[in-house]
Amino acid sequence: MSLLTDEIRALVGQQRVYVAPEPFGAASGRYFGLAIGDDNPLYRDPQFAREQGLADVTAPPTLICETNQYAGLPMDAEGYAGHRWGIQIPDTREVRGGNSYVFGRRLRPEDVVTATWEITDVVEKTTGSGAAMLIVTSRATYTDQHDEFLAENTETIIYVEIGGAS
Amino acid sequence: MTAGPSRPSGPGTPAGPSGRPGPGTPAVPQVGATIPPLERTITLPDMVAYAGATWDWYQSHYDPDYVAAKKLPGPVVDGQVFGALLVEMLQDWLGPQCFVQRIDFTFRNLMFAGESVRCEGEVTAVAEDDSWVDVTMTVTTLGAGGRDERFAVKPASARALLGRADGTGRP
Repeated sequence: MSLLTDEIRALVGQQRVYVAPEPFGAASGRYFGLAIGDDNPLYRDPQFAREQGLADVTAPPTLICETNQYAGLPMDAEGYAGHRWGIQIPDTREVRGGNSYVFGRRLRPEDVVTATWEITDVVEKTTGSGAAMLIVTSRATYTDQHDEFLAENTETIIYVEIGGAS
Repeated sequence: MTAGPSRPSGPGTPAGPSGRPGPGTPAVPQVGATIPPLERTITLPDMVAYAGATWDWYQSHYDPDYVAAKKLPGPVVDGQVFGALLVEMLQDWLGPQCFVQRIDFTFRNLMFAGESVRCEGEVTAVAEDDSWVDVTMTVTTLGAGGRDERFAVKPASARALLGRADGTGRP
């Protein structure tokens, strides 16, 4: 069974754009630092941050690639409230492949984030046990309200055929 | 989250006029140097906090009934947290004048509520002008007695700029 149908191929190049409804805020970075156990004063001490040459406190760098804060979407039936492509492939299970982040500068509390998601590649491969798998690669580019580059997140989601391999 | 015993102390001090890491930060590392590892236990309350902080309330990360219906052994730790822990390890080591410009990581195995991980790495390259270091890293889920049990992330790599606390814009 081939998972790479014409319908799936046609997904390449699709884009979705999300503009945050408000500035990112200092509390978001401080909260994330608490949640992951990172007590770096860059996230909570404005004076320390200024001593490093920053304008203000910042957020842990990966937060912008992990949060759904900018999306302004409602929760779906499973509680998820972030960007999704809505790809449904029967008889497969969905697993995360990995992420690749690139950062331009540290996030500032006043940043209003725009996230532009795009499907950049779909490719079919075979697992070691012979099952078909479809690898979907997406890229999110994050910019501020002045269109300044903040970060980029390239992620792979893998759809693995269930019951098709020996 | 509970920090393990091997976590290094906090970041160093501001850069000097040259823009290089200042006193209190490590000297520029050499190829082959080992990064002080970071260990973390991630409990269910930690995962609830992470869900709130990321606006991600996907039930697999905290709902025992949901994960039982999916035949999973427990709530699944959101894999993207490993990127945050790897960056924390690098920043704790290199100090506040470093800037992680790029990081890549590949997931290997799920981690579940209550388990512990160890992040480790070593230097693979250093710029001729000491402006950046490249590292390779792993995240390992620990079993009984703190023994390595399975990789959560492998491979992972990153480039950290030195003396550029706020990056350089789009690379």
